[in-house]
Amino acid sequence: MTRYRPLDPVRHGTVQMRPTADAHALRYAWVGLSEIPLAAADFPLCFAKDGETGRFNLVALLSLDQPRNLYWRDGGWRCTYLPEAVMAEGFRLDAAAALGLLIDEDSDRFAAPGQPLFGTDGRPTAAVEAMRGRLRRLVADLNAAHDMVDGFVQLDLVRALEVVLRLPNGAEHEVGGLYTLSPSALAELPDPVVVDLFRKGHLSAATLIAASVNQMERLLQLRGVDPGDGGAQTSMFAWWSVPPARKARESGGRAAPGGILHAL
Amino acid sequence: MREAMADVLSGKSEPGESGLGKSENYPIRRVVVVGGGSAGWIAAARIAARNADPEGEPGHDRVAVVLVESPTEPSIGVGEGTWPTMRNTLAKVRLSETDFIRSADAVFKQGARFVGWTWGGDDAYYHPLNPPVGAGEVNLSPHWEERAATAPSGEDFAHSVDFQGALCDAGLAPKAITHPEFAGLANYAYHLDAGKFATLLRDHAVGRLGVRHVVGDVVSADRTAAGDIQALRLADGTVIEGDLFVDCTGFKGVLIDRVYGVPLKSCRQYLFADKALALQIPYAVEDAPIACHTVATAQAAGWIWDIGLWSRRGVGHVYSSAHTSADQAEAALRAYAGPGAEGLPVRSIDINAGHRETFWINNCVAVGLSAGFIEPLEASALMLIELSMDTIADRLPATRRAMDPIARQFNADFHHHWARVIEFLKLHYILTRRQEPFWQDNLDAATVPGELAERLELWRHHAPCAADFTRHREVFSWPSYQYVLHGMGFPTQYAGHPTLGPERKAATRLFARAAAQRSDAMARLPPHRSLIRAIRQHGLQRL
Repeated sequence: MTRYRPLDPVRHGTVQMRPTADAHALRYAWVGLSEIPLAAADFPLCFAKDGETGRFNLVALLSLDQPRNLYWRDGGWRCTYLPEAVMAEGFRLDAAAALGLLIDEDSDRFAAPGQPLFGTDGRPTAAVEAMRGRLRRLVADLNAAHDMVDGFVQLDLVRALEVVLRLPNGAEHEVGGLYTLSPSALAELPDPVVVDLFRKGHLSAATLIAASVNQMERLLQLRGVDPGDGGAQTSMFAWWSVPPARKARESGGRAAPGGILHAL
Repeated sequence: MREAMADVLSGKSEPGESGLGKSENYPIRRVVVVGGGSAGWIAAARIAARNADPEGEPGHDRVAVVLVESPTEPSIGVGEGTWPTMRNTLAKVRLSETDFIRSADAVFKQGARFVGWTWGGDDAYYHPLNPPVGAGEVNLSPHWEERAATAPSGEDFAHSVDFQGALCDAGLAPKAITHPEFAGLANYAYHLDAGKFATLLRDHAVGRLGVRHVVGDVVSADRTAAGDIQALRLADGTVIEGDLFVDCTGFKGVLIDRVYGVPLKSCRQYLFADKALALQIPYAVEDAPIACHTVATAQAAGWIWDIGLWSRRGVGHVYSSAHTSADQAEAALRAYAGPGAEGLPVRSIDINAGHRETFWINNCVAVGLSAGFIEPLEASALMLIELSMDTIADRLPATRRAMDPIARQFNADFHHHWARVIEFLKLHYILTRRQEPFWQDNLDAATVPGELAERLELWRHHAPCAADFTRHREVFSWPSYQYVLHGMGFPTQYAGHPTLGPERKAATRLFARAAAQRSDAMARLPPHRSLIRAIRQHGLQRL
């Protein structure tokens, strides 16, 4: 649960901030446009729909079949790059707040030992100033990523990513709700569109996003050595594919009963 | 007056070019749709989207589609409930589900809830759009009867074999904002504003699909010696030539009736309702929940529909004028609608229940109310239009010579479909225990189609199954019959049948699966109105 309140020297005068919140159960993290080259070196970058709006977010995938962050071990992150959204966890911008920030009082990020948010004089520390700047840049960067992904959707480049895990016991687990770019659809774009994407910096981003799908192997390796799985890691494998475009109308997932009324 | 007009329209008064012009065979390249209601625009859009692809390769033939709409004839606009088929139709005409929901005030429909049909009280059952779980593997109907007898759970058939009734009870949508357009966790159709829908289709068909829209009244038809229509003459002197004519002119049947004189085959001997009174009621509060199903509440001499849209509800009383008066019917409707409907005008609609003896004659095919009309008990009106277009658009005759066999198939298909629709609607009336004269008259064996009576006898002993229906595509198939039969407490004797033994384990698993699906769906799906609000604000993704 979260409980955001305006950052306030009286209420939060003694609060300390740790580098990140506990992220052991984090499934994915939002990624901004400028972060793509760095994040792609560690994570599969995919698109996942926002639960409120259905709009695609660009995310770094951190988990597979379980809500377990595979880049979190022994109480800390194990990766070469940490997404800005992770670094900003526990804070939100709010122009109406005196200091321009809200903090999530329920976040375990706010615990000692850590950096103080306010000095003994009650003035916000440099860490608070830095966080405000970080959040402003992050919001702009996430919006830029959103706009880019909306453009990819318009160009019909986005496809559902089919990921199937075969567990040691033989069971198959489909990891749903992930989307990626279709390399073949990218390759078929008309020249003027390619130039336009290039000028906007979206072509290299698209290439990196498409290539980062191969980091699924890394997730699989990390899951395989994860002690929470109870061993037998070597026999687990996954496959993924980017299927061609198709109309998704076969909802219900039921066997066809023959009649027109119940047939769809 | 009518005869005189028929003479003019049928070409008897002015032979014109009859018998001249076209050779016996020619490619079908010009389609003329007459009528600008839902039927006309669905027909024009379907034919154009399928046969006049503007992105098709140049040099390939494309069909030119013209829609002629009368400036004076209002559309009937009663079709507010669809079938799941509408998702296919929208996709086929390349309309986005988001645009449709926003423009036609549309919401989702997951079936119908029938209230008071058996006992006349608050007894109720669902006819959901999901088939029973495991349809095609195990027929759960007899197993449900066994379970009900040995371990009464209190759960009715629809709730035992599927989760959709639970979604309707809870006011939840069949999908979430993260589902793509036209896909969901549960099967679904729509409730829509027919007038707004026709406008959306018109703008789309004219603006995007290249349909030519002509406003004018048809006053006569030029015909060949063989009886084909060659051209329509409009009141302003415009002549519209065509190879195929689609009559979507509603009850008037400007071509099928006035040109060809094809009579209506009445089904009033089976279905007594001949009048409807309709009301549109605003929601009491802006955020009122929107029912995700049609509610059909039985009355003394008919029934009341209740359909929730985004901005209003549509309610209407379908009744038999032989069993109640217009005043009594309106009083019953207003009593149902409550104080929110006070002072709101009621619209009266005649239901001349029946269908044409021939739907496709020469080069003219009737689609929509011109083909037939029946009380909207199972929302079959728009579905029959869509089903017609599945043939006419997807299998548009290549040539005039190919048209006759396709017309023969079409006529046979639609005689079959109409018979099944009539039987299925009648089924709702003949399992009742109500005592009012309207309901008792419905039980008279002379008013029950013979095939239905025979099937009912069979279904006392054997659960309805796919083998009971002869066609690959039946409008109402065995799941629908099971939902109504069990919903109305039809006495069956399925328990202990020797074929059930080997299935019992699988049936147990399927009942458990239905329960698991219900828990999952109830946890994942949003309230209906909040989903519609989110779609109107953010839109659905195409994938």
